Amino acid sequence: MAAEPIIRFEAISKRYPNGTEALKGVSFSIEAGTIHAICGENGAGKSTLMKILFGLERATGGTIRIDGQPVDISSPRAAASFGISMVHQHFSLLPSLTVAENILLGQEPRRGLLVDRKAARERVAALAARYNLEADPDARVAGLSVAAQQKVEILKALSRDVRVLILDEPTAVLTPPETDELFRRLHGLRRAGITILFISHKLGEVRALADRVTTLRAGLLSGDAAMGDISDAEIATLVMGTTKTVPPLREPHGFGAERLRVDNVVLRSLAGADRLDGVSLSIRAGEILGIAGVDGSGQRGLVSVLTGEVLPHDGDFHLDGRSARGCSTAALRKGGMAHLPADRFHQGSARTLSVVDNAIAGAHRSSRFSRGAFLRVREMETEARRLISDFSIRCPGPRAPLSALSGGNAQKVIAAREFATAPTFLIADQPTRGIDIAAAAFLQGRILDMARQGTAVLLISADLDELLALSDRVAVLYAGRITAVLDNGPHLTPERLGPFMLGLEDAA
Amino acid sequence: MTFLETIAHIVDLVPVLLRVTTPILLAALGVHISQKAGVLNLGVEGMMLAAALAGVLASAASGSAWVGLAGALATGAVLGFLLSFAIHVLKADLILSGIALNMLAAAGTTLVLYMLTGDKGMSGSLSSGVLPSLAIPLIADIPVLGRLLSGHHVLTYLAFAMVPVVAVLMMRTPFGIRLRAVGESAEAAATAGIDVARMQIAALVLSGLLAGAAGAFLSMGYVSWFSQNMSGGRGFVALAADLMGYGSAWGTMAASLLLGAADAFVISLQGKGIPSELLQSLPYIVPIVALVIHARARRKRFVRI
Ligand SMILES: Nc1ncnc2c1ncn2[C@@H]1O[C@H](COP(=O)(O)OP(=O)(O)OP(=O)(O)O)[C@@H](O)[C@H]1O
Ligand SMILES: [Mg+2]
Repeated sequence: MAAEPIIRFEAISKRYPNGTEALKGVSFSIEAGTIHAICGENGAGKSTLMKILFGLERATGGTIRIDGQPVDISSPRAAASFGISMVHQHFSLLPSLTVAENILLGQEPRRGLLVDRKAARERVAALAARYNLEADPDARVAGLSVAAQQKVEILKALSRDVRVLILDEPTAVLTPPETDELFRRLHGLRRAGITILFISHKLGEVRALADRVTTLRAGLLSGDAAMGDISDAEIATLVMGTTKTVPPLREPHGFGAERLRVDNVVLRSLAGADRLDGVSLSIRAGEILGIAGVDGSGQRGLVSVLTGEVLPHDGDFHLDGRSARGCSTAALRKGGMAHLPADRFHQGSARTLSVVDNAIAGAHRSSRFSRGAFLRVREMETEARRLISDFSIRCPGPRAPLSALSGGNAQKVIAAREFATAPTFLIADQPTRGIDIAAAAFLQGRILDMARQGTAVLLISADLDELLALSDRVAVLYAGRITAVLDNGPHLTPERLGPFMLGLEDAA
Repeated sequence: MTFLETIAHIVDLVPVLLRVTTPILLAALGVHISQKAGVLNLGVEGMMLAAALAGVLASAASGSAWVGLAGALATGAVLGFLLSFAIHVLKADLILSGIALNMLAAAGTTLVLYMLTGDKGMSGSLSSGVLPSLAIPLIADIPVLGRLLSGHHVLTYLAFAMVPVVAVLMMRTPFGIRLRAVGESAEAAATAGIDVARMQIAALVLSGLLAGAAGAFLSMGYVSWFSQNMSGGRGFVALAADLMGYGSAWGTMAASLLLGAADAFVISLQGKGIPSELLQSLPYIVPIVALVIHARARRKRFVRI
């Protein structure tokens, strides 16, 4: 190999101010024009390494070389000057701005003193066409589905002159066809000479996309190999050490009485992605109903209605036979509902509060955690410790702020909290998004356990394998309507669901 | 009262309404800019007060009302800069710094006044200029329209002209978009390569300039003197106007007019046998009621997104 690697990490170490050693002397190279995957468990240090490369964090030891030269990347601005762009694990979009304003933030085209809106629109449209990622330049980001926001994030990263594109779990929110499409685009970018750093927990994706893979374990380099020289099982071992994961198994069991009944719910929302056009559903005790559908087909609207965040314009829903339309979220939760939201960071958690506060939120008024006006702090901490060990959450301790946890570990805190309430009705919206293989298997196992004990589960997932592994029945949502409700079984495959998800077939 | 007389009566009220709205609107637009940048200018009351005194002093020293206005604007801008300096360099708390600025201005203006004039209440012995009102040629001669559009104070025209200027600045310029980005998520804005501190400093300096203009209007708009605590809570009323303005410059103007109307109403009732204590509390009761109504309206549950 004659050419210098485009990026070389040399003994990179990172010690966060709270003492956590996220990286302990990591060295490896990235060859120009390749797609390089980085794998590791939740908390292994992947995002930390990428943030150092993007100038968001400073390494506490080691050197980064670009084209062989040692460089100092002190800010995202400096990273941009080296041609480094990043799509973040947690979105960095501004909800109240439009798509075009977000993508061109900091590099707006001008006409005189004003933003040249026409030029901005055209630039976004050209960018979207070039990478085949559709986006409406004038839409407000707040109204977009998570998948649409993901596309905007990627376009934003590509809007500058890029040599190196960092993608921190970009596919976590995409459905399989969307992921395939993205991968075709990424291959195209590689052909255009762009180097891509790609983080994912899904080995299938790594296999399909990457030329080389580096694995991290607890801040140390555990492996670095060309994809051709390493099997999936070997990668999994390098990522997890010796532990083996057992995929969860759905066992047939009887169902109880009807728990949730949704009758003809209509939601005329401002944002199309939330619209519901007469949705009816039923879930029995012990049953898992999976919702399949391209993201933005009404999932967010359905969840908002069932959690009492919005009042539907028409229709009703019943929990255990009682009408729940107009009930507040607090009342619904008291009645046994739990909700693991898809957007864990905006809706599910408070990043600056501690792990304890996040793990107890919602239950803080129960007699278990409060006496009169006072919280029982010791009880809270005991419970948080129990959740931390049950869900193997990697964190410095229960009092650490949630912002000091890795993306996946923060998600596990929220999942642990919702599961711990022993709900009679659970809404699990993308429960394993961003969670590593072992932890995902664990969470899926817990969902099955809960169902066995009589919980009615509404499972929404972009991951069809997960949906088919867990659901007793699958309902397909398309453009705010249920287009099919199918019993799960060996005959039900992603191929069978596809036409319903795309609105080509309608069995309802 | 005939119909025409009623109309004439209402037309007569308009200049009063615009006059009392002017300082509230100027200050509220300043608050609006700061709030959009995520650094709500709680020191606006103190900035107005200090600028009012600085205007009188600069005018008395130079003999020109315009130099006085420049002094008032500069004072507001400098205080805006100091506030952002406290937040960004000294890492002081935004709210506490704003409150401290208000207290400092209240005490500081009295001290300076006493040192220069020997009087703690009024600056009567200093003669300051008065900024002019403008008669618009031709329009001034049209019967009703002339009364509505012409003859107002130069700063009144400025205040209302600033509404579209601020609206365009915030919504249509790169500066405004970046400012709003910083206010919405400093972290995300920084990731996009925007210098958060610089944007917030700029926002507070602009906010101070507008508060300075409001202060100049108080001491040099129709009178030629400064009196102790002459801002009289208008800065806080401006904060309320911004909160009620639904995050837009035009909304801020509407709210300022509403709160100004309460003031004007009080003025029109003065000397009509209603207890003056009751009357004087009205301008403070209106913002409270308006904020409560506003908060309730926002709880409408249908439209979330
Ligand atoms: N701001 C912070 N302050 C303190 N510790 C932190 C901070 N951010 C991350 N850490 C710690 O550093 C370690 C590595 O975190 P990092 O985010 O790099 O993990 P990751 O590999 O990206 O995991 P995930 O798959 O969950 O996203 C974790 O133990 C985490 O708790
Ligand atoms: Mg991460």
